[in-house]
Amino acid sequence: MSEQQSFMERHHFLLRRLHSLSGIVPIGTFLIVHLTTNASIMWGMANHRAAEYAADPVGRGVATFQHEVNFINNLPFVFLIELFGLWLPIAFHAVLGVMYAVTGSRNTRAYAYGGNKRYMLQRLSGYVGVLFIFYHVATLRWGWTFLVPGGTEWSSQFAASTLAMALRGHADHFSITGLFVSLLYFFGVSLLVYHFANGLWTAAITWGLTVSRAAQQRWGYVCATVGVLLMAAAWSALGGFMFAVNVQKAETVEGVLYQEHHGEMAPDENAPGEPDLIEPQAALSTNRTDG
Amino acid sequence: MTTATATPPPTAGKAMRTVHFRIKRCDGPGKPSRWESFNVPIPANSNVISCLQWIAANPTTADGKATTPVVWESSCLEEVCGACTMVINGKVRQSCSCLIDEYAPNDGDTVTLEPMSKFPVIRDLWVDRTRMFAALKRVKAWVPIDGTYSLGAGPMEGPRASETRYKLSECMTCGCCMEACPQYHLQADPAGWETSFIGAAPISQARLFNDHGTGKQLKSERLEALMGPGGINDCGNAQNCVQVCPKEIPLTESIGAIGRAATVEAFRRFFMAK
Ligand code: SF4
Ligand code: SF4
Ligand code: FES
Repeated sequence: MSEQQSFMERHHFLLRRLHSLSGIVPIGTFLIVHLTTNASIMWGMANHRAAEYAADPVGRGVATFQHEVNFINNLPFVFLIELFGLWLPIAFHAVLGVMYAVTGSRNTRAYAYGGNKRYMLQRLSGYVGVLFIFYHVATLRWGWTFLVPGGTEWSSQFAASTLAMALRGHADHFSITGLFVSLLYFFGVSLLVYHFANGLWTAAITWGLTVSRAAQQRWGYVCATVGVLLMAAAWSALGGFMFAVNVQKAETVEGVLYQEHHGEMAPDENAPGEPDLIEPQAALSTNRTDG
Repeated sequence: MTTATATPPPTAGKAMRTVHFRIKRCDGPGKPSRWESFNVPIPANSNVISCLQWIAANPTTADGKATTPVVWESSCLEEVCGACTMVINGKVRQSCSCLIDEYAPNDGDTVTLEPMSKFPVIRDLWVDRTRMFAALKRVKAWVPIDGTYSLGAGPMEGPRASETRYKLSECMTCGCCMEACPQYHLQADPAGWETSFIGAAPISQARLFNDHGTGKQLKSERLEALMGPGGINDCGNAQNCVQVCPKEIPLTESIGAIGRAATVEAFRRFFMAK
């Protein structure tokens, strides 16, 4: 009998549980980190240490975000961390998720219960999420600029300014495709946050952490809170990049950080603590003309 | 003459109102389905079964054509056997306890009857529920006693456990929880029953017998069946089952409890199995 079973059938239980687990660790954990990093465009406004680079709040957000991006890119073994902590788990979760989701059917019209709608939305957000993540990674990571409105190539050294351009399709306003991509980001990110929060709730039933109805309800409040906070992070980040960032000012701030960053890494430089920099206030008033 | 009043139900003094029944009919397994309508006079306190009885006695459609009596299944007529389960106005429930005064309070109202969609139709509203009983066998939903010698008195059970288990024991294998479940599908071929999703009721029954002092001897085997394809992991946590269960059995708690037992069993097997 066991000879006739497929690989999926023989390891049914393990694969199902790994699928559940992978959604929380590492993918969900990464989502939290990623959204918190992105939201630094907003919370960075209150970051007094960034005042060194910019006088205005948005500039401080830009500097903080750039700092966060630099931190991640300077992690040791960043490629291996990404491969095993991110790409492979996401691929695994997505492929199995689609295989499992197609075994479901939709009956929310006849049985319009909240749980059933969440079930349906969990599958929908999974499908949309896979497509969105693919677009997100292909354009900003693999540099498929032909899919980016305005053809901007995202640069990790000019993180906020190039991201704002890639979302809007233009430095100072939304192009039609930019509006479309911005909306895609809004829905894609919101659905993924929902997918994580709701998945956190159902995973507790799957693993048997929450058994009683009261426990499921209590855990539901926790998951809803997590979802609301992450949604706030996601929306504030998107709002920041779509509306708040002034591309030219951001480039100036990023330019200062770029020099600082590369200045430090160059072998024969000034003593640490005295980097050869443009003065921050001077930097802000520099009239950059490139685009 | 009858007027359309929402409440109260018509009294004996008034002429009887007429309710329109739309019934999805099918002459036999594999045959095509068709809709037929009947105008049924409604005495006070009618239920769907009493209306079906009237149709059986007067098998004439609303447009005056003679037809065959509509076939359905029922037994207890008090919502304890589950045999009369069907889809009424789009939702699954028992037809014997379905009161016309609630569903069609006014003259000319329509009630729609369909067989359950997740089980093969035998004829009209009568479906083949064998798969549900096969599922109970799949999870060994019984207490193992071979009957060759006296086991003496069974183990003691505390009041709290007995209260929990009593509720679970009320399941009548009616099929509502499967019909409403988005993960449960029609599977006419018995060969597919072993690997297709088992549904909420047998999962809950496995919990009932796992928690029984003697029944727990088969716990590992029950979990084995539920940890495989079509078992507990195929549940998508839509929680429709608990919403539609007429016995208000806490099915989602049973799903959580079996999920927990399966987690423990997996670790036990990994670290302790020989
Ligand atoms: S659990 Fe409830 S809905 Fe399901 S078969 Fe039993 S009684 Fe019917
Ligand atoms: S909780 Fe599971 S068994 Fe119940 S309706 Fe949803 S998918 Fe079906
Ligand atoms: S006839 Fe037994 S439940 Fe309706």
